[in-house]
Amino acid sequence: MKFRTLATVLAAAALAAAMSACGSSGSSSSTGTSTGKSSGPAGSTLTIADVAPFTGPDAALGPTYLATCYGATTAINSAGGVLGHKLACKTVDTRGDPADAVPAVRQLFATTSSLALVIGCTSDEAAAVVPIINSQKMAMFCMTGQSEFDHVVFPYFYRLVPPDLEESYAMVAIAQELHYKRIALAFGNDIGSQTFIQPAIGALKKAGITLTTNQTLDLKASTFRTEAEAIIQSHPDAIMTEALGNADPTLFAEIKQLNGGKMIPIVATSAAISPPFFKAAAAAVGASTFASDFRADNLVTESSGPAYQAFSTALLAEQGKVPGATGNFTTYLSAPGGVHLYDGINLAALAMIMSNSTSPSVYAPDMIKIGNGVPGATVVYSFAQGAAALKAGKTIRYEGPGGPTSFDSFHDSTGIFQVDTYSASGAVNVVGNLTADQLRALSG
Amino acid sequence: MTVFLASIGFGLVTAAVLAIASVGFTLQFGVTDVLNLAYGAIMIAGAFIAYAVNQAGTSVWLGLVVAVAACSAGSVLLNSGVYAPFQRRGTSPITMVIVSLGMTLIIEFSVEAIAGGTGVSYTMGQGRTFHVGGLILSTLQLVIIALSLVTMAGVHSLLRYTRLGKAMRATAANKNLARNCGIRTGRVITITWALTGGLCGLAGVVFAMDSGSFDPTATDVFLVLILAAVFLGGPGQAYGAMLGAAVIGIATEVSAAFIHADYKYVVAFVVLLVMLGVRPTGLLGARA
Repeated sequence: MKFRTLATVLAAAALAAAMSACGSSGSSSSTGTSTGKSSGPAGSTLTIADVAPFTGPDAALGPTYLATCYGATTAINSAGGVLGHKLACKTVDTRGDPADAVPAVRQLFATTSSLALVIGCTSDEAAAVVPIINSQKMAMFCMTGQSEFDHVVFPYFYRLVPPDLEESYAMVAIAQELHYKRIALAFGNDIGSQTFIQPAIGALKKAGITLTTNQTLDLKASTFRTEAEAIIQSHPDAIMTEALGNADPTLFAEIKQLNGGKMIPIVATSAAISPPFFKAAAAAVGASTFASDFRADNLVTESSGPAYQAFSTALLAEQGKVPGATGNFTTYLSAPGGVHLYDGINLAALAMIMSNSTSPSVYAPDMIKIGNGVPGATVVYSFAQGAAALKAGKTIRYEGPGGPTSFDSFHDSTGIFQVDTYSASGAVNVVGNLTADQLRALSG
Repeated sequence: MTVFLASIGFGLVTAAVLAIASVGFTLQFGVTDVLNLAYGAIMIAGAFIAYAVNQAGTSVWLGLVVAVAACSAGSVLLNSGVYAPFQRRGTSPITMVIVSLGMTLIIEFSVEAIAGGTGVSYTMGQGRTFHVGGLILSTLQLVIIALSLVTMAGVHSLLRYTRLGKAMRATAANKNLARNCGIRTGRVITITWALTGGLCGLAGVVFAMDSGSFDPTATDVFLVLILAAVFLGGPGQAYGAMLGAAVIGIATEVSAAFIHADYKYVVAFVVLLVMLGVRPTGLLGARA
């Protein structure tokens, strides 16, 4: 019996491996049924779909965007909604895997007649789902820095975050500012993290910084002791990293243990600015230890002024209401997805009013007009202000907490970078800015 | 050389965790004839039960005891409620594998629904770090290794010196013959589910302690390592599983140090495939 089943067992092992790779897709909704791809009848609720990982290694991303979606839509609804419609958010769990993302997105379109906008679409799944969303003529604000979107035209694709290579340069610029001479790389084996490596290696070379070791972290692995020891043995001044889920916190804990209780300074990507990441890293090595030598690049976002006030009021009103949101909720005020997707939702909602249509093929071009502005346009800092100005017959330029928008012909709008740190309580502090010249000096 | 010695130490820790899990898995398979692929999911359920106890402000070691008891009871229920009815109907082994895969997803996603999808950590310290002859191990890791050795000694004593152990070995060797010899195989199987479920819970908690940070899907890859250790040693062979765990644990860490971390699982499975090619019944399996 045992030997006869050996083949069965090996097949089972393969199945188990396949299962771990595939998982399953799942989505939960707050609104929407039946088919279609544009708006429902007047007075109905329009849906904004948060297409992102809610489970798996990058599970922190989905709730971050959802918090923003809740905040933005509640504020829009309080200001009267859009053309008689209220807005609501819907989650679509991609599990951070294209194999799960594609059927989940297809299901979204098959079951949501009231869909008006897609947000999320991270680097984990963007390459697979952007063409599908685009073919459905649905506007999307994606949180991907993948360079393949830098010069390919997807008419319905919009991006308020920088290409990954610019973020790689930003990390190296931080290392330069801190006078680090030796850097170790530790990036996850997912698509979103791997895209940073080659630009970072090139920029390190240009900056005259020695690359001590380049470790790839399997996000499904349970320990990284050997990788941690290899990093320690290479004697870096700092580690540049993006490995979400359990990987980075586990790596940090093992480095601290193997390095005589001392952490090595960390320079992370903007993805590390999220409450779940801080919570996991702080639990792994201690909050004060983690916060003492941690920096991350982040797109410049406002921390005061009318746009920030409207944003923080809208977001903080959702504290305790967002499924999956953990940790210090105020960190979402600095999370890159939080800020820029808030702007994206407001741009879309204002464009709907301006074009008098909830159909993306009609309203999407107006997002560019409102974002980039025209001479003489009234600058507005919130949806409520913008809606009132449009009602008064004015042309507007929206400037949200993510700062001014400047879409190029590929619908990319990227800003300049700031340097963030954490306090021991998990609050995010801005400790510096990186200039365009600094990044240019490290490019190409 | 330093990294090599350190990686041997890391391999010992991985092997210690793997040994507890593999011995439980192989005993379960050997005695019950169920290839329970939900084992990894039960492990992580145990880890989260201990986490819940730990979050309530008590020691994670108390959580470990609760997890062992809960996984033991849960495994007995899993068998009596799911596997045994299928077996009574004469369900084929491959169908049983599919059933266990289904249970994996049910348990794993249930844990995820309750605990959320993000990583968590126990509130506990690693203790002092010891540097001995190139090996670098924390107090916690030494405790995990000690716990594993005690568990292995316990399993050895159970199988070798107790009536229950002999009955388990007899049931694993030939269920019908054991029954004809007066062994109440049904009871032996139920006790085996309870014991191996307890080992599964123990493995889940030490796995989570060792990982530092874990989420509901954290054991997905580890289950494959358990299968590798079990079949390297010889399916159903407790001592083989211990040996297999040592080989797989050390091979993964040493290869990560000397080739590249990307290849550590590749090397482990090349070892397994070569082994199965040379000796299909595993290191300690009976010759065909």
